[in-house]
Amino acid sequence: MTVTVIGISGSPRRHGNTETLLDSFLDGAKDAGASVEKVVLRDITYTACHGCNACHKTGDCVVKDDAPILYDRMMAADCVAVASPIYSMGITAQLKGFIDRAQYLWARKFILKTLNFSEDHIKRHKGVFISTAGQNLAHVFDSAFPAVTALFHGIGFDYSENIVANDMDTWKGIKNHPTALKEAYAKGQQLVKELETIKNT
Amino acid sequence: MPIKVLAFAGSPRRHGNSETLLDWVLQSMAQEPDVIIEKVPLTEADINPCRGCNACEKLNRCVQRDGMDTYHDKIIDADCIVLSSPIFCMGLASQVKALVDRAQVFRSRKYVLKLPVVPLERKDKRLGVFVATAGQDWPHVFDAAVPSIKCFFHVIDIKDADIRYLMINGVDEKGAIEHHPTARFDAEKLGTAVISELRKRLKSESPA
Repeated sequence: MTVTVIGISGSPRRHGNTETLLDSFLDGAKDAGASVEKVVLRDITYTACHGCNACHKTGDCVVKDDAPILYDRMMAADCVAVASPIYSMGITAQLKGFIDRAQYLWARKFILKTLNFSEDHIKRHKGVFISTAGQNLAHVFDSAFPAVTALFHGIGFDYSENIVANDMDTWKGIKNHPTALKEAYAKGQQLVKELETIKNT
Repeated sequence: MPIKVLAFAGSPRRHGNSETLLDWVLQSMAQEPDVIIEKVPLTEADINPCRGCNACEKLNRCVQRDGMDTYHDKIIDADCIVLSSPIFCMGLASQVKALVDRAQVFRSRKYVLKLPVVPLERKDKRLGVFVATAGQDWPHVFDAAVPSIKCFFHVIDIKDADIRYLMINGVDEKGAIEHHPTARFDAEKLGTAVISELRKRLKSESPA
């Protein structure tokens, strides 16, 4: 069984540092034999969550756009890599807008109890967060992690890896970073191999 | 000179818990003499997310033409900027994050172009207020929102010591804030204290 990987690029900018790092991860995954797909959030149509809480009663989002369709595709994959640059110490508003739309899955799990992921299911689904930041602060990614954790919990994935590189302003771009792209590629290969082993057992 | 307060109600839901908490702060401010308050629901503000184009680093303005054209000037003019947000998925509502990210133009002005954000005589006079509510009752539920809020206030020349916080967790259902034992009292106390502090700061600036 082929391992399927979806990369989600949450940057408003095409082919910037974060998307390049995501590409490297996806290349590694592809070269390890996975079927790989990339979705660029700015190319799909979705609104932010309206906070109407209608999903708390129905388990479905009242907004019919590309977001629930993408969530279906993500949940059908073995690995989801979600990528965002750090803006103002957090993920982009674009990615946050998409993550907030998963409220209907939260409602299914915790209010309606119509959705449940077994431990085995979670173990077989790997979530990866990929990010870059201009600043060289060691803690610059810390405020991004909780929203990403919420996302992977919501879709029943094991949030297993952060692939992050800070100090882009000094490096003048990810391409000049000594290790980040190679590490992302290696992580892509490694995760696909792990998932292959899990799927065949 | 009247004290000018600019408040953004950041929730996509009108008149929910975070907006009610904000209203309590603003109502107590309004009871003080000579205070002008403008409340802006972000649902009506037409503020798009940042496109990350970095053009503001050269142009000193944003290439997007939307509600931010108006609020850019109002943010500079105000003596006090209040931001409210519910916590969604452990962070700011994305609508609020969009406003925070659009403050990039101020960051470029301050740190890249090295130009003043507010006139020198108003620097260190202004106050920022962050008002938030969360459904979860975890004590750490606001932790990931605060650094982005600090970024927003820093780039508009409001330093850490000049930011006030009122963050109430464990209020989930609509109207739950009404039953909170201290929220309303704390909000009113905060509103009064902020105006009193601003009055002190602004008095020292100009003779009556």
